[in-house]
Amino acid sequence: MGMTHREYLWGDRIYGCSKCHTHLAAIESMVSRAFTGQHGRAYLFDKVVNVITGGPAERTMTTGLHTVRDIYCCKCGTTLGWKYDRAYETSQRYKEGKFILERNLLVDVEI
Amino acid sequence: MRISNGSSSPTTSPDPSSSSLVPRYSPATTIDSDGISLSKTETNGCTTNGTATNGIAPPQIARVQPPWPSLYKDSPIDREEFVRLVVQSLRDVGYTESARTLEAESGYTLESGIVAEFRRAVIEGEWEELEAALLQLGVQNEDDLQTTRFLISQQKYLELLEARQLTAALYVLRNELAPLNYDSDRLHLLSSLMMCSEEDLLSNAKWDGARGSSRQQLLADLQLYQRNACLYHNTTAPLSLYSDHECDRTQFPSLTTYILAEHADEVWHIKWSHDGRYLASASKDKSAIVWRIGPPSESGNRDCTPEQVFRDHKYEVSCLAWSLDDSILLTSAENIVKIWNVKSGVCIREVDSRVGPDPCPVSSLQWLPDNSGFVSGSMDRRIIFWDRDGKRTDTWGPTSIRITDMAISPDGSRLVATGMLHNPALASATPSTSSLNLPNGTSSNPSTLTKRIVIYDMHTKQEEASIPQSGELTSVQISSDSQYALINRSVDEVHLWDLNSKRMVRRYMGHQQFRHVIRSCFGGANESFIVSGSEDGKVYIWHRDSCALLEALPGHGQGSVNTVAWNPQDEGMFASCSDDCTIRIWEALPPGYTRDVESTSEGQEPWRSNSNGASWRTNGGSGTDMID
Repeated sequence: MGMTHREYLWGDRIYGCSKCHTHLAAIESMVSRAFTGQHGRAYLFDKVVNVITGGPAERTMTTGLHTVRDIYCCKCGTTLGWKYDRAYETSQRYKEGKFILERNLLVDVEI
Repeated sequence: MRISNGSSSPTTSPDPSSSSLVPRYSPATTIDSDGISLSKTETNGCTTNGTATNGIAPPQIARVQPPWPSLYKDSPIDREEFVRLVVQSLRDVGYTESARTLEAESGYTLESGIVAEFRRAVIEGEWEELEAALLQLGVQNEDDLQTTRFLISQQKYLELLEARQLTAALYVLRNELAPLNYDSDRLHLLSSLMMCSEEDLLSNAKWDGARGSSRQQLLADLQLYQRNACLYHNTTAPLSLYSDHECDRTQFPSLTTYILAEHADEVWHIKWSHDGRYLASASKDKSAIVWRIGPPSESGNRDCTPEQVFRDHKYEVSCLAWSLDDSILLTSAENIVKIWNVKSGVCIREVDSRVGPDPCPVSSLQWLPDNSGFVSGSMDRRIIFWDRDGKRTDTWGPTSIRITDMAISPDGSRLVATGMLHNPALASATPSTSSLNLPNGTSSNPSTLTKRIVIYDMHTKQEEASIPQSGELTSVQISSDSQYALINRSVDEVHLWDLNSKRMVRRYMGHQQFRHVIRSCFGGANESFIVSGSEDGKVYIWHRDSCALLEALPGHGQGSVNTVAWNPQDEGMFASCSDDCTIRIWEALPPGYTRDVESTSEGQEPWRSNSNGASWRTNGGSGTDMID
């Protein structure tokens, strides 16, 4: 709805979409590097911009059952990872509201 | 210019053929201070030559009456108005004889009988006649009537006090001044004057007594003020010289006359060609369309058709720019700028504004006023100058801001860019570079001032000023005199900035803007209006000088009205585009139609066009008639 400009980030290192170089997350909002996505290494971020979230889906992962939404780049539409909506095990609750971005779909962008 | 006739409506013009040519003497004429003398029986609006001092009859003056009603043969000025103003000016200077001669020769008199009567009654202090004359003058406005009555009663009261007729004064105070409910502070002051002695009275009331000039002063005060700025005034044609003029609201463009619906998705930008015959539109559906907006035919219809459709963009089209001769249209989608030949519809050239590995979208395209090429401003903080063939001639950058919009003044002296600091931490570190007054309501916390208005001097290519702002700045337009810039700012504000003093001079509010890129423009004959889109689907129009909201025009469907543009060659037409995929052309009501508030099209569905995309909307709520 309506035209909006994309968001731009500032930080020591900015990750962007590998296809279109849209800013996605700054290294300052990275929470953990120890995740695995469908294509290999993935990072957990608490703030990600310029993504569109899809519908909720329940998935069983190595850490248990979660409700997640896939996220897509707002410019080129590539699936970049997912967002945790709910975690059903208390030890996993810290992930709720945070985002997973696959490492090999990210690229460093100039600030 | 003034016509001091003591009433707000222009005086009825005396019938020239009925006024007698021969100057008349009336037996009991008195000469008052401004030289007009009248007897009470005077009724036909002709003033007499009342100089009874030497008893010699002045020569008869022949009437001169040219056959045309205007001043000269083809002039737009009305002769009667002009002559009456001249007579008034002569009287003011003191040339009463010349004034009378002119009145006799032209057959036009300055004041009608009633007005002259009123004037005389004030000067002579005949209060009862004054009341009657006031009613006869036909003052319409209730407030003016009240003011008039108050001033007259006040004068009467003060004179009675001076003459120590206290009971009569009290009567006036109770029965005339108090019920008017006009100015209670003044009323209290007047009541307190009852206690004063005569000397104190004169000084306290700042009034110089019945014999002084107070009655003349009263007459001056009674000149009910004329509005300075007619709110809806929208023509450059010279109108009546009497400044008691007010434009009819029905002459103002407030009606959708055409809906252009070819786009398949939201329309984000529109721009008129310089000759006002074409309208270019840019849409989220990755296409740009050039519409031909034809002149009205005898039936009143315009032919509005898509002349060219430029597809072939990889992303949504965000910016448009016309060359000065309207032969070239520039479109931009993300970082790619395409140069199109409008006549042939062919893309002449495609250029990439990318600098470095990351493509950044072009947020503004402007053709240079000296016709040497164009400028692009983009989110990677670069301003790139290109020549007509699409070769880069100059690159400014990286500047301090990611540019969200840009405008070049028509005289080519300045470039104004708005945007956001790429490093928000600089907001608190950088002191403001120019002496400025931050607008009221700006957060005093400097770390929120991460947006900037940057003004560049085009000749030296240096920054003239960098003004910190909070809130998203989404649009810049510069007035045609190159002195003012109009900037949209989230949340819900449009600002007018003086480019010389670098200060905000006006603020326009009432519309909605929070998330989206909403643009505004100057409009009207002397750029006396400000028009803006809004996120609530209405078009908002303000009067530029007074900031009064004139119109909030509904009609567009769901979603924001993104851009508005006033036709540069037609002062009565503007266009707006919206998220409902349509563009609307707005014009004044055709003659014979009245505006019926209930039937304005609230929340209309996007209109599917017929072959020429035209539709009429009549009032009466009976739906619309398609006129082919």
